[in-house]
Amino acid sequence: MRRSLALPWALAIVAAALVVLGGVLEFLPGASGDPWWVYGLWICLVLATVAVGLLVAVRRPGHPIGLLLLANALIIAAAGAAESYARYGLLDHPGSLPGARWAALYDQSAWPLLFAAVTAIALVFPDGRLPSPRWRRVAAGATASFALVIVSSMTRPFEGPFAGVRNPLPELPAALGMLGGVALLGVLFSLLAAVTAVRVRFRRASGIERLQLQWLMFSAASIPLALLLGLATGDDAARTASIFVMSGALSAGVAVAILRYRLYEIDRLINRSLVYGLLTLLLAGAYAAITLALGVAASRSSPWETAVATLAVAAAFLPLRTRVQRGVDKRFARARYDALRRIEAFLADLRGGRTAPEEIESVLAQTLGDPRLELHYWLAADERYSDARGNPVGVAPDDGRVRTPVSRGGAPMGVVVHDPALDERPHLLASVIEAAGLAIEIARLRVELRRQLEEVEASRARIVAAGYEERRRIERDLHDGAQQRLVSIGLALRHLQHELPTGSGAADEALDGAVAEITHAIGDLRELARGVRPSLLDEGIGPALRELAQRSSVPVEVRATPERFAGSLEAAAYFIVCEGLTNAVKHAHASRIVVSAGRANGSLVVSVADDGVGGAAAAEGSGLMGLADRVAAQGGTLRLRSAPSAGTTLTVELPCAS
Amino acid sequence: MRVVIAEDQALLRAGLARLFEDAGHEVVASVGDATALLSAVAGHRPELAVVDVRMPPDYGDEGARAARRIREEHPAVAVLLLSQHIETKHAVALVAQGRFGYLLKDRVLDVGEFMEAAERVCRGGSALDPQVVAMLVRHDRDDDPLAELTAREREVLALIAEGLSNGGIAKRLFLSLNTVESHVRNVLSKLDVTAAEDGNRRVLAVLAHLRATQSQH
Repeated sequence: MRRSLALPWALAIVAAALVVLGGVLEFLPGASGDPWWVYGLWICLVLATVAVGLLVAVRRPGHPIGLLLLANALIIAAAGAAESYARYGLLDHPGSLPGARWAALYDQSAWPLLFAAVTAIALVFPDGRLPSPRWRRVAAGATASFALVIVSSMTRPFEGPFAGVRNPLPELPAALGMLGGVALLGVLFSLLAAVTAVRVRFRRASGIERLQLQWLMFSAASIPLALLLGLATGDDAARTASIFVMSGALSAGVAVAILRYRLYEIDRLINRSLVYGLLTLLLAGAYAAITLALGVAASRSSPWETAVATLAVAAAFLPLRTRVQRGVDKRFARARYDALRRIEAFLADLRGGRTAPEEIESVLAQTLGDPRLELHYWLAADERYSDARGNPVGVAPDDGRVRTPVSRGGAPMGVVVHDPALDERPHLLASVIEAAGLAIEIARLRVELRRQLEEVEASRARIVAAGYEERRRIERDLHDGAQQRLVSIGLALRHLQHELPTGSGAADEALDGAVAEITHAIGDLRELARGVRPSLLDEGIGPALRELAQRSSVPVEVRATPERFAGSLEAAAYFIVCEGLTNAVKHAHASRIVVSAGRANGSLVVSVADDGVGGAAAAEGSGLMGLADRVAAQGGTLRLRSAPSAGTTLTVELPCAS
Repeated sequence: MRVVIAEDQALLRAGLARLFEDAGHEVVASVGDATALLSAVAGHRPELAVVDVRMPPDYGDEGARAARRIREEHPAVAVLLLSQHIETKHAVALVAQGRFGYLLKDRVLDVGEFMEAAERVCRGGSALDPQVVAMLVRHDRDDDPLAELTAREREVLALIAEGLSNGGIAKRLFLSLNTVESHVRNVLSKLDVTAAEDGNRRVLAVLAHLRATQSQH
């Protein structure tokens, strides 16, 4: 990792050094430099390109785009520095600097390099590869054209400001010069090809990649424009400006793709890169200012000035670095900062009762930018995971998504099932999950509570149903056991009676009495069994209610559907009416009662209405309370309307589904 | 009478057999389940089959289903269905066909009436348990035609439904035959039932009427 970062850092440092060198030469006494704003633009362009290049290089070590951007920065820096060096060493103070003619040579012949770097970037952005293998020929042609143009301009006599200076290289034959002209055409074609490459990629791309490319597409259009403009005007300043615009636009295009559309998943790194980028700028500015001030004060250059300036800047570095780091941390850890703020806002809403804790799942999905994110809660009692509605969910997602466990105080809360891309930002994921921990725990507790409540309700309904089933069993036992046995005994007595010799009157009478007792006992048993569960319930709620009504001492009108319902439902309805009738007769002193049973809205609705004294209420321990409990156990509702002296109506709805 | 008895409880089965034998009838077979009952009826061609409603294997309404098959396959065999409790589901429909009786099991202890009912069924008549009849003849709506009957007339109607003849009714209510006949005429005309004044067809007509009234509820 460190080794692979050596080259990018070297390129960056050399570029920065060249900027400093150029600045020093521009502002040395007696230097005939460009206007200060050209120098400023140049510095900004180089440093910006270095910053973007470093960003990519650090995040994606070995990625061609990072290296190409840094190379571009170096080329630009070198061009400026070479011009300043050559101007100072050849024109302002001839003979004062060694190798000034070579600097002039670079200044004259390096301009194709500027185009070559941006062309290369445009060809391989953003994945570092050509759009397709067919583009290799284009790349080869471009390389050859640029090389030829460079060679041909290197072997020409100097023009422009250094026209009088002798080129250190020998002049080559005119034929090569003509070849240079053809190569220039090749360069123009290469630039057009670079624009086309970006366009081709843009057309193929979709979604976020398309957005990433769109900015580069705009800036790539400036590449051939810059060349044509430079060739057409022949004006030095215009040429410089157009090259600045082209390179700047390209760097900006890449920067926007990275910063705005998270190309290369660069996100947290912006933090550190910005710190260093800003620090570099501040350092350069401070260095330039101190150098200038000392230079003006001493009115001539000496190695001492440079040394003092360096020391001053170095002394300022540490506190400055801490301060800048803090500011940048606050301002530029954007993704994490924004995410944590959203979670905090959600927690505030939660405290204010404006949202439900279960919403944390969708908040996490939005905050982390993964619409398919799911939060699975750990239900300790059931030893399984569930979703927010309490439905069980599988342990292993089969779609390649990643499960990140959530725990609080060592106790498992659940897992976040998310896109593997989020693993590339572990700090963001971890801190967001940690911040959301309380909401997740509340949601989990609620899910668990709901789940247990459902279970309790289900078991209560089962118990009630089992109670009705038990009544049926007891009723059967009474009928098939005791009752049958009594009939058998009765029959045996009758047989005995038949066997008695005629004339045994007393014994005959005694046997008649015994059989009558048995018949009574059987009748009692039948009543008992009916109280436990009327066997007419086997034929439906209607027949059972009619039979019940018949036994009432108060006239009862029955309006019952012939429809059949689940056994436990019919039994419940029957006993509700039993209780209602008992109350109507015993407490309400009713003279007329209407009982109805029928289906309405998917429920079995039974009601008992009387014309009695009213004023009934379900008191603790009363039959009505027990009734209400059983109705609730079956998921039903019980309504009691009983105004004083307006009769009482008891209405119960029992949902058919349960 | 030649009788086949189907009752799953051995003690009760033996008791029933003795009851019929003591009354001078011939019990040709005593069986414990519906399958054995059907083969006994096919083999012995009895005059009467006394059948318990609940029998193995499921203790549901095997007896009632077997009774219906006997009705279809051997229409000459009278059937007396015995039940531990009232089940009106099929009872009234079967009884209304004649040569059929439906009684609560403990009615056997009133030997006289039970034997009378058994013999009546055997002769092609019908016997319906008083408790079932009570359910049929009760009225709980004001527009019920039964509401127009006097208490005595309702008593007579119940006995008609039970399957009794005019003579039987007279004996049961300690009335003269003439009085009973006049009550019967009144009942039939109030219920708008046009049928013979005595005999099985009258029972059927009355039962049909009562069932129709019942099902309106």
